[in-house]
Order: sequence, then C-alpha cells, then structure tokens
Amino acid sequence: MGSRQIAEKSLSILRSLPRISLGNIRDNPGSKITQKRGRGQHGGDKHGAGNKGGGQRQNYMRLGYETGNNPFYLRVPHENYYKGHHHRRQYPPLSLKELQLTIDKNRVDITKPIDIASLVRSGVYNFNPDQKHYGINLTDEGADIFQAKLNIEVQWASEEVIAAIEKNGGVITTAYYDPHSLFLLKNPKKFFETGQAIPRRMIPPSDAIEYYTNPETRGYLADPEQISQARLKLAQKYGYQLNNIQNDSIYNMLCERKDPRQIFFGLEPGWVINLKDECILKPKDEKLLSFYAI
Amino acid sequence: MATVWRSRCAFAPLLVGKSVRILNNTIDLGSKLIPKPLSVTLCAKDYSSYGKSPFVDKITERYDYEIIKNPPEWEYVKRLLPLDIIPKVTPKDNYPSGWIPPKEEAQNLPYFIRRTKHHEIPIYLNLTYRGTRKVTKIKKLDGDIWLLNHEIKKYLNSTQQRYVETRVHELARFIEVKGDFVTVLKEWAYSKGF
Repeated sequence: MGSRQIAEKSLSILRSLPRISLGNIRDNPGSKITQKRGRGQHGGDKHGAGNKGGGQRQNYMRLGYETGNNPFYLRVPHENYYKGHHHRRQYPPLSLKELQLTIDKNRVDITKPIDIASLVRSGVYNFNPDQKHYGINLTDEGADIFQAKLNIEVQWASEEVIAAIEKNGGVITTAYYDPHSLFLLKNPKKFFETGQAIPRRMIPPSDAIEYYTNPETRGYLADPEQISQARLKLAQKYGYQLNNIQNDSIYNMLCERKDPRQIFFGLEPGWVINLKDECILKPKDEKLLSFYAI
Repeated sequence: MATVWRSRCAFAPLLVGKSVRILNNTIDLGSKLIPKPLSVTLCAKDYSSYGKSPFVDKITERYDYEIIKNPPEWEYVKRLLPLDIIPKVTPKDNYPSGWIPPKEEAQNLPYFIRRTKHHEIPIYLNLTYRGTRKVTKIKKLDGDIWLLNHEIKKYLNSTQQRYVETRVHELARFIEVKGDFVTVLKEWAYSKGF
C-alpha cells in the first residue's frame, strides 16, 4: 500500500469521525506535570512541622496515645447504642395539636379520608424520603383538646393517639410505604407529569411486619375483626364510649381504606394519569394486568 | 432470539441519537435500529451532531390500553394536586386548637393589626446575640401606630409590673418591644379582636 492510499484512507476516516470539539479533546501526553511532594533537602521542606523548635524536634503523639500502653479510651468495653442509626427508619413527628389547627383553618378536608399526601398538600407536614424518613409519627401533644372525627392513615401512632382519635368517633390506620411510594405521595403532580404508570406499593420489610400486622397499633395488614376487638379493649382501658361505626351517617367515608398494594386513594397501580387532557390511561393487556394485579 | 435482540440494542445508542427517548411501552423496530455495516469509505450518513440525527418514527405500541376521558376517578386526582390558594376559614362554633378568628368590632379601632396569609397574628420573637437579646416584633400595622404603641406600653406596664421599652418604626409599620412578650401580646390582640 502506497503512502498516498494511506493518506486518502485516513482522510476518509476523518470525514466519518465526529468533528473535533471541546468535548472530545484532551491534552498532549506529557504536557502536564503533576506536582510531587519532594523528600530531599529542600524539595520536601518542612513537612508541616513548622520552622524549628518543638514542632520539629518533639514528638507530638496523637490524642489519647499512651506511649504503647493500652490507652484509656480503649480499656473500657464499649456498647455502641447508636450503631447503624443512619440506616434506621425515621418517622418525623406531627402532633394532634397541629392536626387540629390545620382542621380549624380548613387546610385539610375531614369529609374525605386523610393520608400523608393530603397532609403534605396542606403544608403542615414535610419530610424527605431520601433521608430515611418513612412518614408521619402522630404524637399525643394536644390529645386532650382534639375533637375532630376523621378517617386518618399515618405511619406510626402511639396508644394515646389511637385512643384520642377513636374517642371522637374517628378511625386510624397505620400503614407502611416504601421510599419510592413516599416520593410519589410527597409530590403526586410531579410524578403524574412524568407520564409513568403508577407503581405498586411494596410490602413492609421483615422488621416492620410485626408492627403493621398488629391490631393494637391498627396495622393495615391486621385482621379487621381483631381490630374491632382491639378498639373495644382500648375504649374500656381509657374509659370512653366507642362510636358504633355501622350506624354512622359517614359510614362509607370511615370505611374507605387503601389496598396494601395501592399508593393513592381511588387510583390503581398501572394507570397513567394525563393531567393535560384530564384523562386516565388504563392497561388492558393481560401481561400488564397480571403485573399490576393488586 | 434474545441474543439477536441484545446485539441490536447494543448498537442502538451508537446509531440513533434520539433512541434514548423511546418510551418504556414501545419498541422501535425501524430501520435505524438494525446495524448497517460501518464501511469507512461508504459512510453516507452523518451522525456527527444531535441535530443531524433522524427522528424516531414507526413506533408501534407493545401493550394494549384504553384511554378514558372524563373518568369518575378524576375526583381522586384533583385531591392530590396542590392547593392554588390558601383556603379561607369558614366560621365554626368552636375552634379546639385555640385559634381565634378576627372580629368585626376591631375595624372600628383607630389602629389595626392585619392577619398573615396563614390567618395568624403577626407577632414574632427575634433572638439575636446568641439568644441573649429578645425583641418582640409586631408587624402589619395600620392606622394610628403611636396610639397603638401607647396602649401596648400601658398594658404591659400593668401586667408585667415594670416599665417596658418599645421602638416604633413609622415607615415600615412595625413596633418592637424589648423582651419576650409574644404570648402576652397575642392574648391582648385576640382580646381586642384582631
């Protein structure tokens, strides 16, 4: 092959290759010299020890070092109570007093079931699912003044809170959401605008199953019959008359619950919400229906 | 089949600049996905920039679905969308939280404290110098601000049993009171009907 052919071939290669731009060039090899820490007489000058004196000549040992003894700070056996605290589930609190104030100011509608999405929408509650926040811990501050009759779903509740809500004829459920679902609940509009199908909610992890299947904590996976027994038991313990839900005028609202696989009230997994044309895309394909089956 | 498909997909991002925009639900089986022999001399297509790469077309739906217009479930979607405005407070028999609505009679006073957009009285505590200096600030004032200042001083003198320093800012319409009197002043404002 002659040199002329080589030149032509390389030119044709150049034509088909992308144009040279700032995005695909790099420095010539050997044009940049990285500074190295010198170790010679003047190359490595002071090594951070300062100029003359104790800094250079004395040996300042690290804090707690006892020249070879077993140091004091290691001599005592240590129990790490907070080991792995940054991996644990956190539930930022919301008090009953704050909830009552939002209801008084019409920021949440108690004629509809309340969940974490409606509380975030009201502006009273905020949380960050990416910081291991797994939802609302409803606390008992203001349990004495609480007077609303509602159907609320939170992620964590104490016995006092459950009693305060059931005393006023309301219903409380504790439900688990995986972080992905919590992102959707925090900003549903943002999710609908992406045009993705609503996913399924995941089941709780093994260490949370016990809490969410327990009727005493009104877990969403507990047996409804056992929950009604636990309601009666709590009413007797705290000494109040339990509201008979069956005869209530808002019976349908109080009985509204989400499916364990459902994220939003009334919207099923697999649906795509089109906010622009105000229509819903529902899957008909067998494969999709079985994938999103509740 | 799977291997054939994977090998096709492997070339897809190289060949089609816009193939990343293909939706989950669709496959593009257009001509662009099928790898052509990359001959150096016979390279007619210019893929050197994003603008020159062709658009994706011939998209076929992989899954069957139905579009429902005006669905009954839209009410549930509306509930999730953020509030456009902060709702007004409807009159109720009692407010268990301790919040008190503004009263009509406060309109007749020579001075007025407006509520915030969250229906709260604008009285705040400002902490400075690492929390050692406490100053209570009353904002959103209308009318005779000096008369209001006089009344506040008189009220605090009688309740606190001592002289209380205040500062009136006529232009920015606020009064600052030296010390933490947030709860005391809020109670006073509620009693006046603001």
